[in-house]
Amino acid sequence: MGIEIPFDVASIAGPEIGGIAPPEVIGCYITSARRPLLVVGSEILRDNFFVEIAIEIGKKGIPIAATGHSMRGFVEKKYTENVYYYNLHELTNCLRDPNWKGLDGAGNYDFVIFYGIIYYYASQMLSCLKNFATDPLMRTVSIDRYYHPNARMSFTNIMPRMEDEYKDMLKKLVESIKR
Amino acid sequence: MEEIKKGGLVDVFDLKNVDIHIGEIVDEGEEEEEWEPMGPHPMPRIATLRDWDFKLLNRYKPFYAPICDMCCLCTYGKCDLTGNKKGACGIRMDAQQGRMVLLACLVGCSAHCGHGRHLLHDMIKKFGPDVPIDFGPEVDIEAPLTRLVCGIKPKTIGDYDEVFSYVEEQIVQLADALHTGQEGSYMDFESKALHMGMLDSLNKEAADIIQIACYDMPSGFPGDGPDVPFVDVGIGTIDTNKPVIIVIGHNVPPSADIGVYLTENDLEDKVEVGGICCTSIDTTRVYKKAKIVSALGRQLRVLRAGIADVVVIDEQCIRADVLELCQRVQSPMIATNDKAMHGLVDRTDDDPDKIVDDLVSGRVPGVIILEPDQVGEVAVRTALQMDKKRRSLKFILSDDEFKYYVNDCILCGSCTLACPNGLYIGEANKSAAAGNLKPLADLFDICVGCGRCEQVCKKHIPIVDVMTKAAYPQLKEEKGRMRIGRGPIWDSEIREAGAPLVLGTIPGIIAPIGCGNYPNGTKDAWLIVKEFAERNYIVALTGCMAIDCALWKDEDGKTIYEAHHGGFSGGGVINIGSCVSNAHIHDATIKVASIFAGRPLRGNYEEIADYILSRVGACGVAWGAMSQKAASIATGFNRLGVPAVVGPHGVKYRRAFMSRPDRKEDWKLIDASDGSEVYVEPGPQDLLVACETVEEALPMMAKLCIRPSDTDRGRSIKLTHYIDLNQKYLSAYPPDWHLFVRAASDLPIATRNELLKKLEDEQGWKIDWKKKKIEEGPIRGYNPSFNPTNLERLVRGKK
Repeated sequence: MGIEIPFDVASIAGPEIGGIAPPEVIGCYITSARRPLLVVGSEILRDNFFVEIAIEIGKKGIPIAATGHSMRGFVEKKYTENVYYYNLHELTNCLRDPNWKGLDGAGNYDFVIFYGIIYYYASQMLSCLKNFATDPLMRTVSIDRYYHPNARMSFTNIMPRMEDEYKDMLKKLVESIKR
Repeated sequence: MEEIKKGGLVDVFDLKNVDIHIGEIVDEGEEEEEWEPMGPHPMPRIATLRDWDFKLLNRYKPFYAPICDMCCLCTYGKCDLTGNKKGACGIRMDAQQGRMVLLACLVGCSAHCGHGRHLLHDMIKKFGPDVPIDFGPEVDIEAPLTRLVCGIKPKTIGDYDEVFSYVEEQIVQLADALHTGQEGSYMDFESKALHMGMLDSLNKEAADIIQIACYDMPSGFPGDGPDVPFVDVGIGTIDTNKPVIIVIGHNVPPSADIGVYLTENDLEDKVEVGGICCTSIDTTRVYKKAKIVSALGRQLRVLRAGIADVVVIDEQCIRADVLELCQRVQSPMIATNDKAMHGLVDRTDDDPDKIVDDLVSGRVPGVIILEPDQVGEVAVRTALQMDKKRRSLKFILSDDEFKYYVNDCILCGSCTLACPNGLYIGEANKSAAAGNLKPLADLFDICVGCGRCEQVCKKHIPIVDVMTKAAYPQLKEEKGRMRIGRGPIWDSEIREAGAPLVLGTIPGIIAPIGCGNYPNGTKDAWLIVKEFAERNYIVALTGCMAIDCALWKDEDGKTIYEAHHGGFSGGGVINIGSCVSNAHIHDATIKVASIFAGRPLRGNYEEIADYILSRVGACGVAWGAMSQKAASIATGFNRLGVPAVVGPHGVKYRRAFMSRPDRKEDWKLIDASDGSEVYVEPGPQDLLVACETVEEALPMMAKLCIRPSDTDRGRSIKLTHYIDLNQKYLSAYPPDWHLFVRAASDLPIATRNELLKKLEDEQGWKIDWKKKKIEEGPIRGYNPSFNPTNLERLVRGKK
């Protein structure tokens, strides 16, 4: 399945590139986080299923930063309890600062999950965190249908004909997050 | 003694074998009149405005998202800078990013400077240096940026020699700073980038003023300004039954000569002239029969469609493979600028008969003609002959070819991985093979027209042609309308709009500018313009966004230009002109400070930028920003205190300028009336920020028009739009709307009670419900006499 090259094929930043991992491994990795954050973009709106996955993760106590216009999906589903609109550029600007108070005022996060974000936008924001959110180290994963070398861990590229498989991966991921 | 005239000859005592060079000649009475006392910073050098830059950079801290983690500029490297490591020369990743930003701005600024200087050379050669800069009764402040930055009030185009000399020297000094072993601070790289951006804005103004003056383009005379005529836009407007000349680029003299030749030879109705990118906009400012075929994003597809009987290129934004594309469809090409010669032979001053014969016979694929006044004859005569020769050729795929290709697709996904927008082309091919062309036709507008997909297709499918075929029925009907570029905003318009803009009752100036690297097609450009024009903002456009938004129509069949007036007042939709014309948007904000507020301009950049940042609610949007010019343009706007929103591809510029509203200490201003320090709301919150989708960008732009100086009435209008746009596109209240409330009177009357209740419930503010007054909560109260500044020297009296 998939191809182990960046979804935008020339998006090879340098020697430090993240690995491809199956959903169970990424789920365990998220479980190990002390204070994780789910960052959600507008691509979740292409199918209710993807909004529901975000809500499932949110229900595990992981706050959600709704970027782009993804907020719509949460409002429609009447799930806004721990969902905060934030522009992704501005959010990443905060995430790189260890002294940021976080969305809830309780401090910055140690782990960020990128989901449903336009590939090249996410790639650049992951690059910022990789290069500048290093002390303390902020761990990043992508659970999009793209391989993101700037994330520490990512799914592989998944083409539309394998959409069902991708949905299964997301279900497995949610199951494997233990909180 | 004999009087020497400019450009004149003089006999010096019958001397022989003596070479005398005469520099500037000062005519009697030509000494610089004291039109305004000189300000503190005429012709600023690299360090002159550094304090202002650092004020900006400390609030809007540079944010970096490296697109490459390495540096490979010297032989120490490649150096791995991942994790903000230092390279062998000692430069850290953050400084390296600032360096790359400065490099991008250098390239962009040089393009505009080179263009302007080239234009000046050509115009002086053609008309002499004394062409007056007289923009008519409606434009007294003819060159706000030139006055502001250089302290010069230009009277003739020849006066711009000094301006370009200043810019060129600064560019070289800034380029020097890029060398290994020079600058090491990211803040100083950014200060230099801001300096480069300011120079770039000056270049643009100079270039447009020169061409307006020489070609009698619209300016401040009756019939200009809001009343300029309309022009056809779109591939469907080109009559391919006639010979067609397509002009591409940014430098108008060769295209203007085509218009002159057609007019002089009574061929105006017999030959079509259509343009791509900014040359098209400028050609319509000088030759009324010209049409705009497309913006930059469709260049590849227009050329591949084979509608051009001859292609004329000048400079900038021309595809590097333009000659190959022309050869593919047997369109002869004429290169007219030494910056884009494409390996052709220079035939300037050759016999036109021979050049035309060589082009028409196909002996050469193209020629170089560097003298603009020789281009018209060759282009027109070639087009007339090629039209007959090419008439039977077809470049749109036949139905059978189309079917073959879409069936041949093996859904390998290579095209998707090569596509800047990650389009799923294979799936659309599959639908087309099954008889449903819509998914493929829909991709046509989202496609940015780069052609990378074709190079990686394992089945060698001409994907661009396949997509064009699917969209062909719509393309034939692509017929838009826009106003021709009007150039400067009139002083009288500024007098009318200045007060409502500063007070906030016209909620802002929205300036859609730049290239077509959109995330989701040209319709977003139209939506941005429509949304703000209908909300009584002033929408001032230039370049490709000005073209792209004209392709779409409302339910009454009107384009956005036809549905709105073209004046600089609320609800206006103004085509300012080409990329260089967007200096008039800077100029409009400067003129607000000068004409409305009476601030001195001459050599007074810092004070004017400070005024604009705190008081003029303007926001640029470069939704498809692509080029290095766009980087320097945005950076120039930023130094002047105007924020800009870019589309998601804009994050690839690596750098943004964003503030932190949660850092109260960053939001301390001075009240110039008494010197007191005031903590204010975050307006504008960012100077450069990317949005993921147009739905997110719309409320963001409304927010970035909020300024500390807004009156309560103005703030309530701005808040209304900010909140409403959030609700419309994000289905929610903006989480930070309360930050912008200073008093109950800042809240829209219609929803005041509801909003006060929200402030009480959600933010814990104390409300006096009897008086409908906010007792406690806001960052500051509303003070109508607040006179905000960032500059201590402007304080008039100490408390």
